[in-house]
Amino acid sequence: MTLLGLDGLRVEIGGRVILREVTLAVAAGEAVGLVGESGSGKSMTVRSVLRMLPAGSRVTGSITVGGLDVNRLDSAGLRRMRSRDVAMVFQDPRATVNPVRTIGDFLTEVLRDQGISRVEANRRAVALLTDVGVDHVERRMHQRPHELSGGLLQRVVIAAALATEPKLILADEPTTALDVTTQEEVVAILHEQRRKRGTALLFISHDLELAAAVCDRIAVMYAGEIVEILPANRLHEDARHPYTQALLRSRPGAVNPGSRLETIPGTPQSAADAPAGCVFADRCPHAADHCREVRPVLSPVDSGLAACHLLPNGVPHVA
Amino acid sequence: MLLEVRDLRKVFKGGFVAVDGVSFDLPYGGSLAVVGESGSGKTTCARIVTGLEKATSGTVLVDRGAVQMVFQDPYQSLDRRQTVASCLDEVLAHHTDLPKVKRRSRMGELLELVGLDERHAPVLPRALSGGQRQRVAIARALAANPRLLVLDEAVAALDVSIQAQILNLLVDARAATGIAYLFITHDLSVVRHVCEDVVVMSRGRVVESGKVEQVLSEPAHAYTRKLIASVPRPGWVPARGVSRAG
Ligand SMILES: Nc1ncnc2c1ncn2[C@@H]1O[C@H](COP(=O)(O)OP(=O)(O)OP(=O)(O)O)[C@@H](O)[C@H]1O
Ligand SMILES: Nc1ncnc2c1ncn2[C@@H]1O[C@H](COP(=O)(O)OP(=O)(O)OP(=O)(O)O)[C@@H](O)[C@H]1O
Ligand SMILES: [Mg+2]
Ligand SMILES: [Mg+2]
Repeated sequence: MTLLGLDGLRVEIGGRVILREVTLAVAAGEAVGLVGESGSGKSMTVRSVLRMLPAGSRVTGSITVGGLDVNRLDSAGLRRMRSRDVAMVFQDPRATVNPVRTIGDFLTEVLRDQGISRVEANRRAVALLTDVGVDHVERRMHQRPHELSGGLLQRVVIAAALATEPKLILADEPTTALDVTTQEEVVAILHEQRRKRGTALLFISHDLELAAAVCDRIAVMYAGEIVEILPANRLHEDARHPYTQALLRSRPGAVNPGSRLETIPGTPQSAADAPAGCVFADRCPHAADHCREVRPVLSPVDSGLAACHLLPNGVPHVA
Repeated sequence: MLLEVRDLRKVFKGGFVAVDGVSFDLPYGGSLAVVGESGSGKTTCARIVTGLEKATSGTVLVDRGAVQMVFQDPYQSLDRRQTVASCLDEVLAHHTDLPKVKRRSRMGELLELVGLDERHAPVLPRALSGGQRQRVAIARALAANPRLLVLDEAVAALDVSIQAQILNLLVDARAATGIAYLFITHDLSVVRHVCEDVVVMSRGRVVESGKVEQVLSEPAHAYTRKLIASVPRPGWVPARGVSRAG
């Protein structure tokens, strides 16, 4: 059953196209990884789910959560969705947590909003912090954000997201600020919550191996569009879109230390300046004339979907 | 030595010991990685090196005028009211003798180096994505022609293809100008690629240090081994109880 449905989502800010056309379904309990170029619209995609786009944004296409049309929710409905059904963990924890309030206040506020008593809220906040591996919990409850390292503060934000037992967690690079051992702990916690409560997850990451380990499916974004979707455990074998293949080849682990890393020729492109046809055509080593003119649609290839005119036969299969 | 850090100790108010006897050296043109647990004191050390924080005791020998830093969270370090162009121009005007027109073309070069372009010049930080802001911060730091660049998780928020471009750029700049890097990162494949030496920190202390190749292929300390085991790779299943917060 579809929990989150994005259908032909298009976002413009001040007349500039940010998302061209994003179509994606996340089933109840499913984890989908969103990877892709910096600036391609991953954060805007998840922000649009909570209607947290910058002022002056124009949204077309549909966004549904549990069958409800997000763009038609009244303010009470929106508040209910944000505080109960959908939780968000942002890229930068310092932008999320009020700098002048204590960690304890930040956590208990979420719970008290749901009518839980102060004592009980406090008890649960302490338990949640312990759960996500925060040390010296009693001391942390009285500290303010600037007294915590980036990694510790992100755990606090994750604890707050879990507090409301949401149906869907939107996680925007939740572990970018964390060391790998803490990252392992945090993604294991997210995994545990999903198993226990059937929570669905939309997980943005730049680490392709991490996304593949955490998620069921991977969606790859470029210049405001999803160009490929495939099962996470087939990422290396079945990636067929030229952009996905280029991404996989540019990981520092893909070459020997000391040799040059592979990059994608040309400059990163925003949705606003992308060609009318395929968004990747200007930088694609395989592009033909009609790639620039006619927009390819996501179509089945191997185990997933890819938007490329040259498939299923035209792009060499590189594992 | 370009940078000598000896017995650094930082006690925050309330008596919390964040850095506890840290020493390391960085030669001219060197490239030293600092890896370690969240909360182990990496950023605090970096802030002391750049003079943003005062050590409780210990010494740092470095020419602070020749140091630039790229912060872990660039949104905090970029002026929210300043456009990308004016931010870069300010640094170029302060640190170089370039006349206005030359500064303009240097700005174009710097933007291109980090995968941005003229279209981003008139924009305020809030209209940029996380990775775009991070790249503005890198361009700004390079604009000052530092001898030592401190990078605190500076490439973590970039997709791998843009990250590859920046890592190539850092490797090239070091070969061409002899700039040195103090590179705080949790990505061990990045460490392998860009750094020669590494120090591993845990709970305010250095638990292991040495040549990157040596430390990563034959880790001596249990924490270093745990760190290596936590790197996502095909077939890896994340497990709980592998780490302790610092
Ligand atoms: N407030 C804003 N006004 C205008 N444009 C914006 C605004 N915020 C973001 N953008 C633009 O929207 C595009 C998509 O941004 P978004 O933050 O979704 O990228 P992203 O895929 O999350 O990138 P990253 O990996 O770097 O975080 C970017 O090109 C960015 O410049
Ligand atoms: N201003 C402050 N007041 C009190 N404690 C602080 C302050 N700044 C940092 N700390 C504490 O010092 C310790 C080290 O923090 P630091 O930011 O140096 O860690 P880090 O190694 O950079 O971690 P991360 O990888 O999470 O960024 C943490 O426990 C943090 O809570
Ligand atoms: Mg983003
Ligand atoms: Mg830090």
